[in-house]
Amino acid sequence: MRHIFEEGLALLRRRGVVSVILAMSLTVPMALAGFTTSMGLWSRPLVALESHATVVRVLLHPRMDVSQRQAWIAEQARTHQDWRLSEIDRETLEERLQVWFPYLEDLLEGEHAIELPTLVEVEAEDPEEVTALAEGPTVIAVGPTSSIDRVLGLMARTMTWLLGGISVILLVSAFLLAATWIHLEVYRNADEITIMRLVGATESAIRGPFVVAALIPGIFAGVAASVGAWYLVRMVAVAVEAVGLSPPVFPLWLVAAEIGVGVILPIVAALVTMGRHARAGETD
Amino acid sequence: MIRLRNLTKTYDGRRILRGIDLQVEAGEFLFLTGASGAGKSTLLKLLYAAERPTAGGVWVAGQRVDQLSRHKLALLRRKVGVVFQDFKLLRHKTVLENVTFVLRFQGLGARDAHRRAYQVLKRLGLHHRQSALPEVLSGGEQQRVAIARALAYQPRLILADEPTGNLDADLAGELLSLLCDINYQGATIMVATHDHSLLEAMPARTLILNQGLIEYDGSWPP
Repeated sequence: MRHIFEEGLALLRRRGVVSVILAMSLTVPMALAGFTTSMGLWSRPLVALESHATVVRVLLHPRMDVSQRQAWIAEQARTHQDWRLSEIDRETLEERLQVWFPYLEDLLEGEHAIELPTLVEVEAEDPEEVTALAEGPTVIAVGPTSSIDRVLGLMARTMTWLLGGISVILLVSAFLLAATWIHLEVYRNADEITIMRLVGATESAIRGPFVVAALIPGIFAGVAASVGAWYLVRMVAVAVEAVGLSPPVFPLWLVAAEIGVGVILPIVAALVTMGRHARAGETD
Repeated sequence: MIRLRNLTKTYDGRRILRGIDLQVEAGEFLFLTGASGAGKSTLLKLLYAAERPTAGGVWVAGQRVDQLSRHKLALLRRKVGVVFQDFKLLRHKTVLENVTFVLRFQGLGARDAHRRAYQVLKRLGLHHRQSALPEVLSGGEQQRVAIARALAYQPRLILADEPTGNLDADLAGELLSLLCDINYQGATIMVATHDHSLLEAMPARTLILNQGLIEYDGSWPP
């Protein structure tokens, strides 16, 4: 084991500059992946807004009397058990309308006072279902079904998926980078690997130094990526705080995850590449 | 130690070895000679499984080498010291490291491996070059490093492909004497050579290969 570690270090020393370039090349996609993950986590609470119930307002025909209105409400409540229906009394409705239409007061009083329709508020998980009520003869109109919460939630969900997808692409590119580097190193050392096989080195003795030589830049890349991602998140946090929103944070577990990825990616890349090389050199 | 049954090797339709049968007992010293292209190197390559036979079987130390798993083959190769015709030295390692590294992956500690490697290099007159890289060595020196590497782990079988090809007469004589000592200690030795002076200097079983067939099997001269 010690021998394998020493050989790995010797390989690293021999290819010092290339190893530093590998570490830096791994750092960039891993730091961006850490950043996008942090931003995805930050936007997650907004995703929940999308599933919040929306209140849709329904206007019933003014000619409906109390018993008809109550029967209609009871019928809807029975049909749609997840809805919460509440009738807005006339005084409240008048108050609300007069905020927007001050001249309404005159229209509602006097000999030719207009008759206000009945307003029913429907709180539903899926507001699109409420729009179907507009087809009934008793309903004059159904209010808008979109809400700012739902729009924000939808945007946040899209952003989470997008950032998650970008993170995965960045990590795959980091993996391919490490695999390509090891592939080139293996072929650069193909003669030596062949000689090692011929004099009785086992596969683990041959692969071990390459794994060590890839692992050490990977660990450095993990640490550097954590610092880089933390810095990017901090920059966004400062900007977000300036507009009074809750800032994103770079969680501690992501540091461990970055280093873990820095360890795992090169190991897997080394094993896959060396395995392919071993199969190719079957008789050596 | 070595058993070949109907061993055949073909490259691009050209038959290099044509159904060779051979038995070599443990502790034997064997020369393999013949003209260039007779199949000497191919036969050795089949013995350490750098090549696979087209037909027939190869047994070394009781194991059929052409059917071994990669891991078992590595373990078998540790019992076989090979002196390659083209030396096959690791160019990034010093002379001492070239000999040491085979001892290290056989489980020897760094200190023991260095001590044993130094002893073998000293025996071959190369201890003063232990820190040199192969590229600065002469052909003869490189050949002796390759020999030192093959001898360092005291293998039960030594296969040498033209081991004196780059050595002067004195060094060739010393190498032969060294191989005799190792053979006397019980190792089986097979030397492929076209240097007839070696065959004359050392009375041993000699195989003459001709166009992929064993033309002669007996003592030298035929």
